[in-house]
Amino acid sequence: MARPREIGKAGWGWTLFAGLISLVYFFPVLWIVLTAFKTRTDALAVPAKLFFTPTMQNFINVFYRESITAGAAQATEFPLYFFNSIFVSGTSVALAIVLGTLAAYAFSRYPLRGNDTYLFIILTTRMMPPIVVIIPIFLMFRLTGLSGSYWGIILLYTAFNIPFSIWLVKSFFDELNPEIEDAARMDGANERRVFFGVCLPQILAGLAATFVFGLILTWNEFLFALLLTGVETRTVPVAMARTMGGEVGVDYGLLAAIVTLFLVPIFIVTYLLQNQLLRGVTFGTVKK
Amino acid sequence: MRTIRDSMVLGVSAAAVATALLAGGTARAADITITMAAPDWPPTRFMKEEFDRSYQSPDGHNTVLDIDFIPWPSFYERVAASLASGEQKYQMIVTDSQWLGAFVEGGYYMDLTDLMTADPELTAIMQDLHPALVSAYSTYPHKSKDFIADNPFPAPDTRYFGFPQFPDTYVTFYREDLFCHEGEAAAFQEKYGEALPCTYEDWQNVDWDTFRNVGEFFRRAKGEPLGDGVADDDFYGIAYQAGKGYDFSTMAINAFIWQHGGSIWDETKAPEAQAEGVVNSDVAVEALEHYLSLLQYMPPVAQTGQMDIFVIQDLYMQGKVAAIIDWVGLGEPVLDPSSSVVADKSAFGPAPGLRKEDGSIDRTGNIGGQPFVLTTWNSDEVTNEALNVVKWWLKPEVQKNFVAGGGQSGLVSVMADPEYNSLRPWNRAHVEMLDWQRDVWHVPDFFELLTQQQEEYDRAITGQIDAQTALDSIARFQQQLLEDAGLIQ
Amino acid sequence: MAAASPHDRMAAPEGAGGFLAWLMAPERRGPLLVAPAVIVLFVMNIFPLLWSFGLSFFNYRANRQDVPDFVGLRFYERVLSDPDVWDRFQTTAVIVGSSVVLQLVIGFLLALMFAREFPLRRILLMLVLAPMMLSFVSVGVFFKLYYEPTFGLLSQFVSTFTGEPFVLLGTPTGAIVGIVVADAWMWSPFVMLLVLAGLVSVPKYLYEAAEIDRASWWRRFRTITFPYIKSLLLLAVLFRTIETFKLFDIVYIITEGGPGTATETIAVFTYRVAFQFFRTSQSSALAYIILFVVIVLTNLYLYAVKRREQEVA
Repeated sequence: MARPREIGKAGWGWTLFAGLISLVYFFPVLWIVLTAFKTRTDALAVPAKLFFTPTMQNFINVFYRESITAGAAQATEFPLYFFNSIFVSGTSVALAIVLGTLAAYAFSRYPLRGNDTYLFIILTTRMMPPIVVIIPIFLMFRLTGLSGSYWGIILLYTAFNIPFSIWLVKSFFDELNPEIEDAARMDGANERRVFFGVCLPQILAGLAATFVFGLILTWNEFLFALLLTGVETRTVPVAMARTMGGEVGVDYGLLAAIVTLFLVPIFIVTYLLQNQLLRGVTFGTVKK
Repeated sequence: MRTIRDSMVLGVSAAAVATALLAGGTARAADITITMAAPDWPPTRFMKEEFDRSYQSPDGHNTVLDIDFIPWPSFYERVAASLASGEQKYQMIVTDSQWLGAFVEGGYYMDLTDLMTADPELTAIMQDLHPALVSAYSTYPHKSKDFIADNPFPAPDTRYFGFPQFPDTYVTFYREDLFCHEGEAAAFQEKYGEALPCTYEDWQNVDWDTFRNVGEFFRRAKGEPLGDGVADDDFYGIAYQAGKGYDFSTMAINAFIWQHGGSIWDETKAPEAQAEGVVNSDVAVEALEHYLSLLQYMPPVAQTGQMDIFVIQDLYMQGKVAAIIDWVGLGEPVLDPSSSVVADKSAFGPAPGLRKEDGSIDRTGNIGGQPFVLTTWNSDEVTNEALNVVKWWLKPEVQKNFVAGGGQSGLVSVMADPEYNSLRPWNRAHVEMLDWQRDVWHVPDFFELLTQQQEEYDRAITGQIDAQTALDSIARFQQQLLEDAGLIQ
Repeated sequence: MAAASPHDRMAAPEGAGGFLAWLMAPERRGPLLVAPAVIVLFVMNIFPLLWSFGLSFFNYRANRQDVPDFVGLRFYERVLSDPDVWDRFQTTAVIVGSSVVLQLVIGFLLALMFAREFPLRRILLMLVLAPMMLSFVSVGVFFKLYYEPTFGLLSQFVSTFTGEPFVLLGTPTGAIVGIVVADAWMWSPFVMLLVLAGLVSVPKYLYEAAEIDRASWWRRFRTITFPYIKSLLLLAVLFRTIETFKLFDIVYIITEGGPGTATETIAVFTYRVAFQFFRTSQSSALAYIILFVVIVLTNLYLYAVKRREQEVA
């Protein structure tokens, strides 16, 4: 870092420039966050208000709802929805990585005849518009009683994350130097040791990237969650819609508060795994 | 398929469970859970809170009303998906009146005719309900309001399904501070030679021409004088719904068509009633042109075809428009200072209509609101208890509480109560409008009819095609679709 | 690609449970490891796919309890001869085409900006990545608000120059622009990440050499940078094309397909047929036609990845 001027290095001047552009790009998000602290009249004020007296009411309203019959305010189900979102996304992405890593290792180290064809078919399922499978999944859930259960939605999201995980993780395995594995075998390590002790530690960064990617793509899923979750398993993107079209069109402040709260976990995870993410999106096609 | 499914005891949310079944078959107190699908908004929230507060099972059951509050924008899809998936999760469902056909034909909504007839209490309730509501909310195949009015319950050849959960009509919301402003009134009188409507009685005399004048009159640019001050932003006179989503523009345009003496495809006369030649008749074209001609006086969002019931409500609450025509169900936030800058300046009147040759005004409109229904898969015990809940809900005192809490009642006896009009400021207008209500189709294919119609109206509203072209296209589509469905022969 | 090694001890000892031994044999290790993933995929994806393929030959509506009857290719015929379907495909193509181009341009420029090391880079990068983490619903709702002629920021901004409220969504072209901008804003960061990865992979000594040669910016870009990011760009195009093809929520919320049907994408159309009209079989047939298009695109995408691998190797 402290080395003298180098290609690709820039100083605070560039920070200023990039900061300006980034802020412009971030502005619509910033506006949502600001709206979370506004009253309804402030949120729709003309001219738009950049400065205003902030209120926490919207955040309170996420968790408490005023009674209609003038009773005490009631707790909303939002803590449950937040838990559901984290639990369902986290579990399904993790599950997809476990299954995906096993499969990826096999595709990388024990290629089958027609390996590429299998990989292609697996990828095709990821590329499919959800609309294509929703009707049969819907019917299948109706027959098996999976509809409304945690397992139903988790398995579904897992299936949607598997192709992506296999492809990504396989590319990391492909990059590893096989000589290290052979050396371990020479030292008497069995295949399990080679996998857990030699290969896996080397691709931990890649697994992290896969996790973040899967999480971003799963976190905000709406259509399946709407149709296949029940009262107890509803996720935040579905519950978000409660801010729309009741007695008022959109409760902008409340929606913004939910969006803001919902942004926090994924923002933190992404920030912590930022460097890995950068690597992850290249599908491992960029060599070290 | 059904047997496999029925044998799966992986019931998702617990349906009714009778726990205290003892030998001998005597009716005993049971724990009963009634799960109801309902849109998430105050009228249904009220029902839940009021139930928890005041419901006592007359049969001594320990009954829980478990309402699944579903956000409005995805309500139809969620209910349709649940019903079609066969999960049999709900014992009661709040439903838009248009959905009756689709879900009755699907075998999901329970035909209550015989139970109602056998039960004197329910018969009394059905006879006390406003005929417009019985017609729109309960009958399938659909019977017209006039038929129901002429044939009190039980009417011949009529099947009944639902009860009003929240009966809704559209009325005029207006700015008292502007319409009752002396200077504005004088200027209006001078310009149009008629009085600016201020009181409820004035609004009873407002036809579309006056409404148009109001629209033109109150159009002010930013900085021009308005009432006691100046307009702090562009200001508009009038707004009504002109939105592509769901049924928005249809709700307003149907009123114009009916008032002009035209008709939509009349399902009560199927299979003889035609679409082509009726839907695009000269009168209907004239009505649609009339509707479109007023859009120029409305806020600029009218040009996008997205001026739905919520957009006009927002514009009104933020003080951008002088008068709107909107649902009573959206009235409450208008009076709430935390969401509305005109909370203390608002008054309500009947919606305008078309003046007839004899000087009277035809206000025929399209009914809103929702009934609730029972589903077909419940045990007799659960069905009986669900009907107990219905009777509780439609008790006069519960209904009056509901009205005081921002709801509406469909019971004529409750509406006749001298207190009724004073409970909420729009009640008088609502009761007056109720007599004028009719409804769109209830046939299973309603969503396709509605979607195509909304698309064509949207093209007309955004100025891509004229009224004739829009209605020709709608008529052609409906004729074809309904012929294929066997509803036109 | 290591073959089973002589020191392999994963296989169970001889005789200890015949089936387990058979299962654990080295030559079955590959299939065994792949099996769990494939089973989940089969149950949740491939099986439903085959099911809907079957449904597309029957006359069936999921909200009725009638027995479906076999109608063969009738629904394919109906879908392919439906002018509405072609119209929706065209709309989709226009939206996908313009959105992807815009994403490429913006993503590329952002990547150039972030390719350097500078103070606070990690934090600024997060600001640019934020749109990707929002839900479609919130992007839709708030962009609709930004576009609203009275309350919207866009109209307020434009009217300070023109004095007139600005109505973006009133014309088919304007509505398409509105949708494309919202989608491109949300997903340009994705393209940026891909391009950025390509830029980072360019060996620095090439730039150092070019600096000594005093090569022009354009020449450096053309001869050094571009070859390294070429296939990644192609990859971005294809991946985003496939994703944008599925565009649903943003359209449904911002314009609901309007004005008229000017912005109704094939995904919105399929949704209506499947869930509002409950023409289950027809929507299945439609879905298979979409799938066919997507498979063609996927093949192109894979071809691009292959090329990239060969280049780097």
